[in-house]
Amino acid sequence: MATRKKLSLGKTVFKIFCWFYAAISVYPVIWLLFYSFKNNSEIFVTNPFGFPTILHVENYVKAWSQYDVPMYFLNSIIVSVVTVILTITFALLFSYATARMRFKGRYLITIFLSLGMFIPVQAILIPVAKTVNGLGLDSTRWGLILVYTAINLSFATLVYYGALKALPVELEEAACIDGANIVTCFLKIIVPLVTPATATLVIYIFLSAWNEFILANVLVVKDELKTLPLGILFLQGAFTTDWGAMGATMVIASLPTILLYIIFSKKVEGAMTIGGAVKG
Amino acid sequence: MKKFYSNKLAIFFFTLPALLVFSVMVFYPIIQVFVKSFYDWNGLGSGTFIGFENYQKLFRDTVFKLSNKNALIFSVFITIFQITLASVFALAVSDQKTKGRNILRVSYFIPVVLSVTVVCQLWLAILNADSGLLNQLFKALGLNYQQNWLSDRNHAIYVIAFVNAWQWMGYQFALMLAGIKAIPIDYYEAAKIDGASNFQAHTKVTIPLLKETYKICLTISLTGGVKAFTEMFIMTKGGPGNATYTLTYLMYKAAFREYRYGYGMAAASILVLQCIAIILVINWLFRDKEKKEVA
Repeated sequence: MATRKKLSLGKTVFKIFCWFYAAISVYPVIWLLFYSFKNNSEIFVTNPFGFPTILHVENYVKAWSQYDVPMYFLNSIIVSVVTVILTITFALLFSYATARMRFKGRYLITIFLSLGMFIPVQAILIPVAKTVNGLGLDSTRWGLILVYTAINLSFATLVYYGALKALPVELEEAACIDGANIVTCFLKIIVPLVTPATATLVIYIFLSAWNEFILANVLVVKDELKTLPLGILFLQGAFTTDWGAMGATMVIASLPTILLYIIFSKKVEGAMTIGGAVKG
Repeated sequence: MKKFYSNKLAIFFFTLPALLVFSVMVFYPIIQVFVKSFYDWNGLGSGTFIGFENYQKLFRDTVFKLSNKNALIFSVFITIFQITLASVFALAVSDQKTKGRNILRVSYFIPVVLSVTVVCQLWLAILNADSGLLNQLFKALGLNYQQNWLSDRNHAIYVIAFVNAWQWMGYQFALMLAGIKAIPIDYYEAAKIDGASNFQAHTKVTIPLLKETYKICLTISLTGGVKAFTEMFIMTKGGPGNATYTLTYLMYKAAFREYRYGYGMAAASILVLQCIAIILVINWLFRDKEKKEVA
């Protein structure tokens, strides 16, 4: 009986601990949402912790109309979407060739591309900036997009290679006998069959491109090409005193990824962790 | 069929885009890192070959030593913090009997989907010395524990490491949750039938079977210290003084602020070598002992 009581006490403490950390994990985010609707006096003095007493929607209006947030938002969308499209296309084409086609050197190029797994982006920061500059891409969005594509390729080709190896060859054989050429076969049969892998990759690549900071910080030189992570940093420097509108800016920047997560939570967790699992 | 799969033109056009982008944007740069680390180079022209001089300077640099010490503190802190909490929470959430598992799961994971810039700004606001959430909380609770969290030379690195650990704990949590779900339920039930308690079943069955997952988690968090940059860049600028420098930050400063590109490249190549060393050591520690015995 005594041990039972001890056990249930332990269980209660354990439960409280789980919920306590959950609060530490999520409350800062909620606090951000709260203060994005408050004015300075409420943030600092009257009501620092709780739900805003008056919803200062004008913080959002201000962030959107005065702080160039739409421009950063658009840049982030363009960069992330184009990165996703390019990476997916290049990776699937490449993996199809290495998984199915017969040619000399296919092992060599597969290994070559998978080298990217062992190279942290931090390490290539300096030469990549020089390369982008040398190619004359430093005042376009292409510099950032091509570098993001390149660093995601190793992982994406690996995922597609696995997915393709798991597919039976018979469907393609049938198409071949029916007289389809390799391009038709690729578009009509392969692309639809690898949809689950594509979904995982779209989520993973989109999230990493949307949130990426280190490369963007050295590759984007023009103010009007800045993505949201850079924009937020710039605005923070310029408008340090306006906490409410800064909060609104950060909420706007986080909204797409948070919504994506809330709607597809299990898919997002799966996509993010498969990324880490393969990279590790 | 053979003809179908050995279409030379198709092979060329299928592999070319990926090979080209990867070669130009990743492979060429990483070769540059190793080559240029032997040059005195200010970023213009091609520089002059100076052998190992950059490395010699680097190894004598007190900031380099401090960066390595910080990387160690940072790595150990986030490893202990994340792996302990992630294991505990993954076990709790994987248990069908836990109430509110989905709320817990989402709460733990949500910081992962935020941009690191937002996280840093958010924690700057929380840690703000005058009006930050944390100091206000201490004030409201009547505790005299308010302080300037990021201005202490000895503690700032821990605060920074905490912010990183806070953001990425959910990531390791999700990795472990996926690992636990992959374990067949029979194993666990067998242990219970044999009279094991919940705790025993986890320590004897679940955790040993998560070996691969732990390997991944350890690799991510231990290389995290060497790679840490954004938190320092946004929250402390490496300061106070040089107190929160890391290797990546040192590399960034050398190249982009002081135009010592060769020196920065030497730091970058050490960064790659440290990451590879960590991966090799972890793989060696987790090597399959049983397989060896058979062989």
